[in-house]
Amino acid sequence: MDVPTEEHLLYSQRPEWADVLPLEQYENITPLAPIFYTDEYKDATNYFRGIVKSGEMTPRVLELTEDIIRQNPGHYSAWQYRYKTLMALKCPLDDELKLMDELAVKHLKTYQVWHHRRLLVQQTRNPGPELEFIANSLQNDMKNYHTWSYRQWILAYFNDDELWSHELDFVESMLEADVRNNSAWHHRFFIAFQSGVRNGDQDRDAIVRRELAFVKERIAVAPNNASAWNYLRGILDHAKTPYSELQAFVKPYSLPQPPFGTPPEVVDLEDPLPSKEAQLPCVAAIEFMADIYEAAGSNDLMKATELWRSLANEHDTIRRR
Amino acid sequence: MSPTILPPLKKGGHATHCKRCLSGLPSSQVDLDPTKMALSFYCLGFLDLSGELEAKSKDWEREHWRDWIWTQQTREPIMASNMHAVIRQTEHIPLGGHYGTGFRPSSYMTATEYATEEYSDHNTPHIIMTYTALLSLSILRDDFSRLDRKGLLKFLRSCQNSDGSFSSEPLGGDSDLRTTFSAFSISSMLDDWSGMDVSSALRFISSCRTYEGGYGQSPSGEALGGTTYCALASLQLSKQLESLSTQDRQKTVRWLVQNQASNGGFRGRTNKDADACYCFWCGASLHVLDAGDLVDEAAMSSFIASCQFKYGGIAKTPGEHPDPYHTYLSLAAVALLPPNPSGEASWEICPLDPLLNATHQTSSWARAHIPAPKVDGDHAL
Repeated sequence: MDVPTEEHLLYSQRPEWADVLPLEQYENITPLAPIFYTDEYKDATNYFRGIVKSGEMTPRVLELTEDIIRQNPGHYSAWQYRYKTLMALKCPLDDELKLMDELAVKHLKTYQVWHHRRLLVQQTRNPGPELEFIANSLQNDMKNYHTWSYRQWILAYFNDDELWSHELDFVESMLEADVRNNSAWHHRFFIAFQSGVRNGDQDRDAIVRRELAFVKERIAVAPNNASAWNYLRGILDHAKTPYSELQAFVKPYSLPQPPFGTPPEVVDLEDPLPSKEAQLPCVAAIEFMADIYEAAGSNDLMKATELWRSLANEHDTIRRR
Repeated sequence: MSPTILPPLKKGGHATHCKRCLSGLPSSQVDLDPTKMALSFYCLGFLDLSGELEAKSKDWEREHWRDWIWTQQTREPIMASNMHAVIRQTEHIPLGGHYGTGFRPSSYMTATEYATEEYSDHNTPHIIMTYTALLSLSILRDDFSRLDRKGLLKFLRSCQNSDGSFSSEPLGGDSDLRTTFSAFSISSMLDDWSGMDVSSALRFISSCRTYEGGYGQSPSGEALGGTTYCALASLQLSKQLESLSTQDRQKTVRWLVQNQASNGGFRGRTNKDADACYCFWCGASLHVLDAGDLVDEAAMSSFIASCQFKYGGIAKTPGEHPDPYHTYLSLAAVALLPPNPSGEASWEICPLDPLLNATHQTSSWARAHIPAPKVDGDHAL
């Protein structure tokens, strides 16, 4: 998006910049991978080097650095100098955040956009609107690593009960939209187990039960989902619960669909069964059962070997080793 | 399964792609300026690994490249020539030399007039660029007589944070497993660990471990192929891999193996699509864990074959445009496989040292020339 203000005049053509001594980029013999800069970029960065050299921190520096960032969002010196200037001028940071809302969407994968935002929010100390901003931003890219990291940072850094209070609902809605979104599963683990204990969450056994019930339900809906199975294993490892305690739940997923289709009339809430449409047997369930047998040792080792063999030859040939 | 016939690996065309990038990049790639040293490493690394370096470059060219890389090494103040710098010292621009010596990504913040002065706070060395510069110089068989080893150790110290992690620059920037791995790698190449507090760095690494068995970029992050490599290679470089329990090791292996998708490529995260670069990050991780044989090599090779761009270079997925990063890492992934899985001669590649991410010859060169020369059992600087 272009917002022409000065009809694209170069800084070297603008009288209000005449007092700045532009500094050319140093290039000696045969630079490796020289970049053929545009005239606009060369001009702007010449003036930027000049500004940095003189140490000037005035409003026009904000214009210049924004211009450079729009041409090269990875230019970390421009970001860094912009931040220092904002601080020196005591600028209203809400305006800067608004600008960042626009730039973040354009450059979702640029580290600097997020880093700058962290610095700003540490100053404003107003994390509330950030969670909503992140939720919107995730709509464009539901697995963006930077966006999720930023959310985890906001929660952990400000660690405010009000901020945390809607997090479970939020992650549930993300998993509602895509039950295979591993970033959302990871975030759930972070909320439930990794980020300390908050008000109302003191009963850790209850949290484990709640999470087990949650993941079982999601597996029942979509059994072939590595994220959910990894989450299940994660809970058990975290709670030091042997996998064998889940045998009743897992086993039906490890078997081919019963040929005569006789689902029990009584729905077992504790251990939901796969749906009729489910693609069975489920590789992750076979692997889980094999792990149970292997842990049990002796006679069960045979069963484990048999399952591993079936995985290798039939269900998951890419991992046959 | 019957053995798959692999299409040829068009190393010559890929080498041309890398050489072309070294010769110049269009203005649309201006965002590579702040990471150009890394980009150069991927290009040079490909030429080295494919055995095309000598064929694709002249002696004088390689000499110029070495000189350019050395130009990016910042310097400690030198007494005589430094006098004017002391005089011009202002409040805004303190003398930078006290953060030590490292390499910059490029000259993009260096002004011609001030190129020989020591650096300002806005033109500092960068830890990932320093790691890749040392590797590139080793590829170019530099004798490292210009390396400021003492300054480099000081630079590492000024990048380490209180949580044990390393920042990309002395005054901030990214701080995660990539930057921390760079510090491990630099220390290992120097054969001198006095630039870092190893135990707190190791604590940082283990805080990045996730329930899935991989490592996230930072302590609360989702498990990711690239940073898992960084964690495991750091542990191995510092000879601490034994600190992982058998159970944890198995869990990591399980997660890594799970990341090989049915099309043969590796994913960087659970349930994402395969991407050629993760064939290296996950494959090398398995290698570090002594489980490299768990990679389905035929399937992986055929995925990489399908990522080849018809005019040279390898892309992250079939049909995408290539870049040096994916081109180099794909070849590096193949180099870790047992010799020539397919019988197709073009897939024959010299083996790779997965820890330094370079050919064994280059990595031996680095280990022979980067450490300070030892004189009568003393460290000379």
